[in-house]
Amino acid sequence: MFSVILYGRNDSHGYNLHKRAAISFNAMAEVMTDVDDEILFVDYNTPDDHPTFPEAIHDTLTDKAKRVLRVLRIRPNQHAHLKSKTHLVALEAQSRNVALRRSNPRNRWILYTNTDMLFVPRNEGESLSEILGAVPDGFYQIPRFEIPEMLWEAAFDRRDPVGNLAKLREWSVRFHLNQVVHNFMPMKYDALGDFQAALREDMFAIHGFDEDMILGWHCDSNLAARLALYRGKVDSLIDKVFGYHCDHTRVAAANNKGRATRMNDQDRFIWNVATPYIPAQAETWGWPDVDIEEVRLDRDTPYQRFTAGLDLAIVPAVAPFKYTSVEWNLFNDLTYDLPHTLPFVCDQVVTYPRSTAIMLVAARADFVSSFATAWRGMGFTGPILVPDECEGLPSDLPGVSRGAFAELLPKANMFVFEFGLATQKAEESIRTGRAIGPVDAKRLKVVGRLFKKAAVTEAEARPANQRVARRFIGVNVIYNKFWTTFTDYVGANINPFCSQVLAGVPREDPSMKGKVLRFRGRHSI
Amino acid sequence: MTDRAEDLAGPARTAQMHFRAGLSHLRAGDSKRALEALDQALGLEPDLADAVAARAELLDVQGDVDGAREGYERARRLLMAVRPGPPDRRYVLRRRGRFAFEIESYELVRSLVKKAVLPHLAQGNALLLAGRFADALQSYDQALKLKPDLLEAVALRGEALAMLGRYDEALQAFDKAIAARPADAETHNSRGIARMALGKIEEANADWRRQLQLLPPLQSAARACVALRLADYGEALPHLELALAREPADPYWRLYQLMARRRLRMTLNLADAPANVAWPTPLIELHANRLAANDVLERADTTGRRAEALFQIGMMELGRDRQAARNNLEQVVEIGPPDLIEYAAARNELSRLGS
Repeated sequence: MFSVILYGRNDSHGYNLHKRAAISFNAMAEVMTDVDDEILFVDYNTPDDHPTFPEAIHDTLTDKAKRVLRVLRIRPNQHAHLKSKTHLVALEAQSRNVALRRSNPRNRWILYTNTDMLFVPRNEGESLSEILGAVPDGFYQIPRFEIPEMLWEAAFDRRDPVGNLAKLREWSVRFHLNQVVHNFMPMKYDALGDFQAALREDMFAIHGFDEDMILGWHCDSNLAARLALYRGKVDSLIDKVFGYHCDHTRVAAANNKGRATRMNDQDRFIWNVATPYIPAQAETWGWPDVDIEEVRLDRDTPYQRFTAGLDLAIVPAVAPFKYTSVEWNLFNDLTYDLPHTLPFVCDQVVTYPRSTAIMLVAARADFVSSFATAWRGMGFTGPILVPDECEGLPSDLPGVSRGAFAELLPKANMFVFEFGLATQKAEESIRTGRAIGPVDAKRLKVVGRLFKKAAVTEAEARPANQRVARRFIGVNVIYNKFWTTFTDYVGANINPFCSQVLAGVPREDPSMKGKVLRFRGRHSI
Repeated sequence: MTDRAEDLAGPARTAQMHFRAGLSHLRAGDSKRALEALDQALGLEPDLADAVAARAELLDVQGDVDGAREGYERARRLLMAVRPGPPDRRYVLRRRGRFAFEIESYELVRSLVKKAVLPHLAQGNALLLAGRFADALQSYDQALKLKPDLLEAVALRGEALAMLGRYDEALQAFDKAIAARPADAETHNSRGIARMALGKIEEANADWRRQLQLLPPLQSAARACVALRLADYGEALPHLELALAREPADPYWRLYQLMARRRLRMTLNLADAPANVAWPTPLIELHANRLAANDVLERADTTGRRAEALFQIGMMELGRDRQAARNNLEQVVEIGPPDLIEYAAARNELSRLGS
């Protein structure tokens, strides 16, 4: 019957976002009763190494919410062409249009709202699906009622939507929550964007949201203006359903700078709207030709993929624990425990697109074979690119492509540089004072040289469709001689030694030291 | 498919005034006087849906939830009973109803947001649909004072002029809009109607053929209506079949399908008598020979319906008595509003029949 369209990203948009959103997702799912109903959440521009927002809070969602939720992930690379035009990190019009294009065509209605709303049917026995199924074609809004922060934060149980809706029925009377705030036509109500129900075919006819609106605010009013023209009326469902908003003004959201807030031009996008249509984006709205990843929380989750990959690559530990050490006298010992380290390496890549091509520059053959097994097991379809310059590595593994470093460089979407000892055996003790042998030194020299070259030429050697800097993952680069090597070139956080892994994108260091490093890296000095 | 709002008669205008007063009292917080005014409006025009809805909300806010629910539901039923306009027309003309609330609301916005075109256009559209064509024209002219080159306002002004019967001026407006936007399918439709009204049959048909080129393939209902204006039944039939499959409860698709199949000398499926006897069912019964022409004409209670009936009678006569067909189609042109699909189709049929 209807597709709910929401958007956001895995960040901290306003006060206690995680609780608000969980309450909202679960409550929306609770009032859905049609088999075709769905919640489309567009996860816009979450960093590639993060899970999407719903994945990050999945444990707080009900089974029903997980079942109806489809997450459409827009990558930073897909936002890059708009980045210079806006101060915002998440774009409403683009998000909502991407979802509209991909919404269930069997659904009659699209409901635009946000991740802090709860809908309470006035007739307790009625669902929102039934309500929308019974009303005539039109464009419907409802007034938004506010819930004080204390109430939703202190009294709502995230995973009890039925109880939360019951509380709202009681609170609405007890605390006088239901205040209708009228507004000029065509807006009709204040905060109108928290419930705008339009026919799916109407939204296609008017070419979706206006994608020129990239400065934030008023997208809802623009939609109201255009649909008011198109339909002639702005109808209300105030007799059928009340909408409650989890107030979140203790902390200002990123797009709220008080009177200094930058906004889309009201005159252009509201008061001087003259037509429902946007012919200029008729063929392009919602990015019809862009491949958008879809994530589900009820199947094939990243956790399932992560564990499936590792279960293939490593066997369970047989001892209760193992030793390593950060004592400074062991600084030059490059041994590390591969089965312990591999989960941290996989953790760095599992949120990336499955089609990612990854370059693997390594010293240890067992690292390459284990990683390749885990990579396939995690469902990645992109190749593992291993430079010919790296000697002693297996070349017959499924999914591994060998080639000259210079040829592979513009094909890679991500890099892993592994600084281990080529001669380390699986049964060896870790960090007990092992010296670097001649074979180890030779292999490490190659890894170091290719690392520096890749880092300083990253921007110029990017694949044509890659608009953002590629990620560099360093394995065995903490508290050893390669720590400074790696962090001279890559902007990585300080990580616990235990993980053995650092990651980031190449640094842009304008200092003299940075220039010298780039010169040396480029020329392999 | 009647395509023209009837002009507001005296009681309707008075009802609108009472409705306006009701809204004004509501804004002033005087529920008692608001209710009185709304009741006065409904006394004159019981089916004024916006007044029914406003009264329901007034009862709701006063705590009479059951009374309110009845009113809300009645208002919704009234809105649902209104059949949309032809899908090949400009978006605004696909809607039907009185738009009493919009007329009053945008009047307020116009007085407060003085330099904006939206309130003028939105109110103009509401006035147009309410049958207040001269008032609509004024609204569009106000928008054009603010933005003289606003093509949307130019085209809408053309619609108001056409509704007022000022087809020459309408044509000028549509020419200007199309010169700037040659791919504007909706304005091609409107210009076709204005041209047809002026007897420029070939030019009108050229506009509609261009509209067919511009319409997306999936808009079968709109394509069917354009093809019917052209009296091109071979083009219309597949789109009518799709429209009927999508909206099986709409009797017009059934009627037009029957008519197209008859003109294409195809077999007609006339087995079941429709349960619904409301217009245009008598026209379907005419095709099924279950109702005589005179009986159909008796049931045609508006000018538009009489034109529709004469057209269908003419179409049935085409295979039997060309002169009788001609007589009926000429009457369609004589009495029918030029935006009626049957008006254009009749002129095209007459053109083919020759003198």
